[in-house]
Amino acid sequence: MRDAIVIGSGLAGLTAALRLAKGGKTVSLISKGPGGLQLSQGTFDILGYSPDRVSDPLDAVGALAKTKPEHPYAVLGADAVREAAEFVAGLVPDLLAGDPASNVNLPTAVGAVRPTALAQPSMIDGAVKDGNAYVVVGLRRLKDFQATLVAGNLDRAEVPGGGSVSARAVWIDVPARPEEADTTGLTYARALDDPNVRATFAKAVAKQANAGEIVVLPGVLGLDDHDAWRDIAQIVDHPVCEVPLPPPGVPGLRLFRTLSALARDAGVRMINGSKVIAKRVEGDRVVSVSISSAGHAREYEASAFVFAPGGFESGALAVDSYGHITEPALGLPLSHDSAEGLIHGDFWGSDQALFEVGVRVDQSMRVLGPDSAPVYSNLFAAGGILAGATRWREKSGEGIAAASALRAADTILGEEK
Amino acid sequence: MRRLQADVVVIGGGSTGAGVVRDAAMRGYKAILVDKSDLGQGTTGRFHGLLHSGGRYVVSDPGSATECAEENAIITRIQPGAVEETGGLFVATPGDDPEYGDRFLAGAAATGVPAREIPVAEALRREPRLNPGIFRAIEVQDGSVDGWQLVWGAASSAIEHGGQVLTYHPVTRIEHDGDQVKAVFCYDQKGGEDVQIDCRFVLNCAGPWAEGITHMAGLPPVPVIPGRGIMIAMNHRLVNSVVNRLIYPADGDILVPVHTVSIIGTTDVKESHPDDLPIPRDEVQQMFDAGEALIPGFRRARALHAWSGARPLIKDDRVSASDTRHMSRGMAVIDHLERDGIKGMLTIGGGKLTTYRLMAEHIVDAMCAQLGEQRACTTADEVIDFNNDPPKNYVITHRLEDREEDRLDDQIICECELMSKRMFVEALDEQPTGTLDDLRRQLRLGMGPCQGGFCSMRAAGIAHDHGAIDVERATGLLRLFLKNRWIGLWPILYGDQVRQTALDDWIYQGTLDVEHLPVPAEEVVR
Repeated sequence: MRDAIVIGSGLAGLTAALRLAKGGKTVSLISKGPGGLQLSQGTFDILGYSPDRVSDPLDAVGALAKTKPEHPYAVLGADAVREAAEFVAGLVPDLLAGDPASNVNLPTAVGAVRPTALAQPSMIDGAVKDGNAYVVVGLRRLKDFQATLVAGNLDRAEVPGGGSVSARAVWIDVPARPEEADTTGLTYARALDDPNVRATFAKAVAKQANAGEIVVLPGVLGLDDHDAWRDIAQIVDHPVCEVPLPPPGVPGLRLFRTLSALARDAGVRMINGSKVIAKRVEGDRVVSVSISSAGHAREYEASAFVFAPGGFESGALAVDSYGHITEPALGLPLSHDSAEGLIHGDFWGSDQALFEVGVRVDQSMRVLGPDSAPVYSNLFAAGGILAGATRWREKSGEGIAAASALRAADTILGEEK
Repeated sequence: MRRLQADVVVIGGGSTGAGVVRDAAMRGYKAILVDKSDLGQGTTGRFHGLLHSGGRYVVSDPGSATECAEENAIITRIQPGAVEETGGLFVATPGDDPEYGDRFLAGAAATGVPAREIPVAEALRREPRLNPGIFRAIEVQDGSVDGWQLVWGAASSAIEHGGQVLTYHPVTRIEHDGDQVKAVFCYDQKGGEDVQIDCRFVLNCAGPWAEGITHMAGLPPVPVIPGRGIMIAMNHRLVNSVVNRLIYPADGDILVPVHTVSIIGTTDVKESHPDDLPIPRDEVQQMFDAGEALIPGFRRARALHAWSGARPLIKDDRVSASDTRHMSRGMAVIDHLERDGIKGMLTIGGGKLTTYRLMAEHIVDAMCAQLGEQRACTTADEVIDFNNDPPKNYVITHRLEDREEDRLDDQIICECELMSKRMFVEALDEQPTGTLDDLRRQLRLGMGPCQGGFCSMRAAGIAHDHGAIDVERATGLLRLFLKNRWIGLWPILYGDQVRQTALDDWIYQGTLDVEHLPVPAEEVVR
C-alpha cells in the first residue's frame, strides 16, 4: 500500500511523482514504456501559437480562459503554469533555461522558427534574431538532419519581430561507428559522451565555421554528459545551437533520464514495462490498479492515483473501427465517445477535433463524469490525457503536463495536511 | 510552342495507354504517349493489385474469364518483376450459396480457367487466418501485380522501341482537317510551354477521362462511365495468397496480398466525374464487415490507407445505367470514323488491368485496319527488362535481400518499405521534376505503417540537396506529400493508425513546426 501511485512516465507522471515524493509521500510510478519525453523536442513549451505566434506565453495562457474555456489552461491559470515551469527547471537546472514569461524562437530540423518557453542551454544560442548568420552542419551518416533543407528554409525565414537572417549548409563526415553508413542520432549522442570523440567531432566542425557565424548542429551533442555541448562549443569557438530531431529525440531523452534518476533518488518506486489494465473501486474511491504481468495480473493499492498516461500518441486513448473512442486502461469517461465528425480531410486546415478528446477534470484535476461531478474522489489526471488541447499544434505540451501534474500532486498533499 | 511529329498520339498514361504506345512502337509506328499527370496516377494506380486468374468471371462474364486466364500467363511471363505468383483461393463462407461452387467449376472448365477444388482443411492450412467456417475452397492461379511497375515497364519498353512518353502534358485540343485528325495540342506543365504533335492517328486511352478527350476533338460523348471502387490497405499480409469469396461478384469479396500489405476491395458506385472520388465512411464499414467474413478479427487489424479508383466502364444497354457492377468488364473500341465520320481516332473503354496488353493489341489492330496496313502484334513475345535483371517474379523478400547486401554502405530512408537512399536518388535522377508522390509510386516511399512520418522530411531534404530543386519547391513537395497521404488516412483513422497519426503530428507539427515554414505564394501541386 502506497500513499500514491502515478501512472505514466512522461513529464506529467515524473513531475507528479517527484512533487509527491518531495512532499513526503510514498510513491510508485507505473509505466508501460519510456514515456513521452523522447517523442518530444526536449524543450519546455508553454504556449507557442494561440493561434498566432505567441511571444509572452503566460499572458497568452491567461487569455485562453476566455477564448477556449475547455482548454486545460483555462482551469489551471497562468500562475500555476509559471510555478510548474519553475519547479521543473529547478529540478534540471543544467537542462532547462529561460524565462517562462517570454518565448524564444529556435530553428527546427526543417528550418522553421519554433517558439518555446524554456530550452536546453545547448539550444539557446541559436535563437533567431535579426542579423544572425548561421552555418548548418550536416553529418553525412545522420539522415534525420537534412542540413541543406534546414539552411535553405532558415535563410528565408520570417524572423519574429522583423528583419532577416542568413544561413548556409555544410556537410561533414565524422563517423560514430566507422563501419556503418546509417547512424542514428542516439548512437551519435552516446559517442559524443566520450571526450575524445567529441574533440575529433568539434575540430571537424570548427573548420567549417566562418567569423561571426552561429554553428547549428543536430541535437545529438551527448546523452548523459550534459556539458558535452559546452566542450564542443569551446573547441569550435563559435556559439553553438543543437536542433531537436524526430524521435527518439536526444534532448527529450536527457530530460527523461535525469528526471527518472531524480525520482528514484527521491524514493519513487519505478515499476517499468507494466501496462495498467484494470482498477478496483470501493464507493467513490479507487482502491487499486492492476497491471498485466507474466501469468497473472498484479494489483497495486494506494490512497491516491495520478493518471498521466499521455494521449492518442501513447495509446492511452483509442479509437476502434466503429469510431468509438475509449480510454482502455481505467475506462474513464471522455469528452467525446465517438470520432464521427471529429476528423476532416484537409491536412493543413483547422485543428482535428479528435485530438482534443480526453478526460475532463475539475480545478483539482479530479476526473469528471458526464454530469460534471468527480467520478472518484482520489483519481486525478494530468498531461496528454486531458481534453481540450492540440498540444503539438499549440506547442503547449510541457506546460499542460507539468502544471496539471503539480495541481494533482498538490491536491493530494494538501488533503493530507 | 514546341512541335513534334508522330504517326500516332496515345492519350492516357495508365496501363492501357502504356500498353498501346509499346504495341504501336513495336509495330514500327512513331508513337508518343501524353498524360495530364504522371504514369499510373489514375485507375491503374488505384486498384487492389489483383492479377486475375479469370475465376472471378467464370460465371458472370465468361468471355472476360478466358481473356484473363490467357493474359495472366502472358503478363506473368513478360513482366515478371511486376508480378508475384501468389496463387488464389475462392472460398465459400457460412451463409454463401453452396451450389455456386458447382457453377464455378463448370464455368472454369468451359472458359479454360485453371481451377481445382481442394479440401477445406488444406485451404485452412495454407491460410490459417481464414474463417474456419468455410465449407468449400477452389484453388486458382490469381496473382498480385504492381500497377506502377507494370506501366513503367511497358513505357520503358516503348521508349526502347522508339516511342516517347510525355507526362504532365495535358491535352488542350485535338485538331482535324475536314474528316482527318491532324494534330494533338498539349501543354507541358513542367516546362511551361505549348506543344503541338502532328499526327495521323489518335488513340484515346484516357479511361474514365475518355469523354473529356473526345470533347476536345469536338466529338459527341462516348458511353464511358466512371465506376468508383474503394480499396483499403491493411498492414501486413493477412493472407498468403489472393482470397476471393466463392459467390457471384459482389462488394468487398477480394483480399489481395501485395508487397507488405493486403488490400481489400472493392465497391462499385457510378460517379459523374473521375476526378471527384470520395471514400465514404459507410463503404469503409462495408469493407471491414466483408473482411470479417473472410478473416475473423479483421476489424482489429491495422488499416494503413484507403483510396478510390474509377473503372472506365462501357455502358451496356442491357443493364440499368446505375448498376455499374454488372456492366461489361469486357473492352470496347469505339471507331470515330464509323460513329462520327472522323478518320484517325479510336477510343477504348472497359477492360481491366490484367488484360491491358490485349486491349492494346485490339486497338492497335483496329488502327492498322483503318490505315489499311498489315503489321503484326509482337507484345506477347518480348520479355520486358525493367529494374529486374535477370528477369524473375517478384517475391516479398526481395528488398530485404537487397538491404542485407548494402545495409552498411547505404542509408535506409523509408524503413517501412526498405527504400534506400541510392534507390531514391536514382529515381530522382530519372524524374528530376517529379513530386514525392511520383517517386512514391515507383519506390513505395511513405506507403508503410508510418505513412510518411519519418521518411518525408528525409526525402524532401535529399531531393533539395541532391537534385535541382530549390528549397521552396522541396518544402512545397513535403507539404504536398503530407497532404496527399492524409487524403487516404483520415477515412480509415482508427486503431493503431490513430496512434501513428498522433506521433506523426508530434513530429511534423510539434517538433519540426512544418506548418509555420514560409507558405509559398502558390502551393506546389505537381
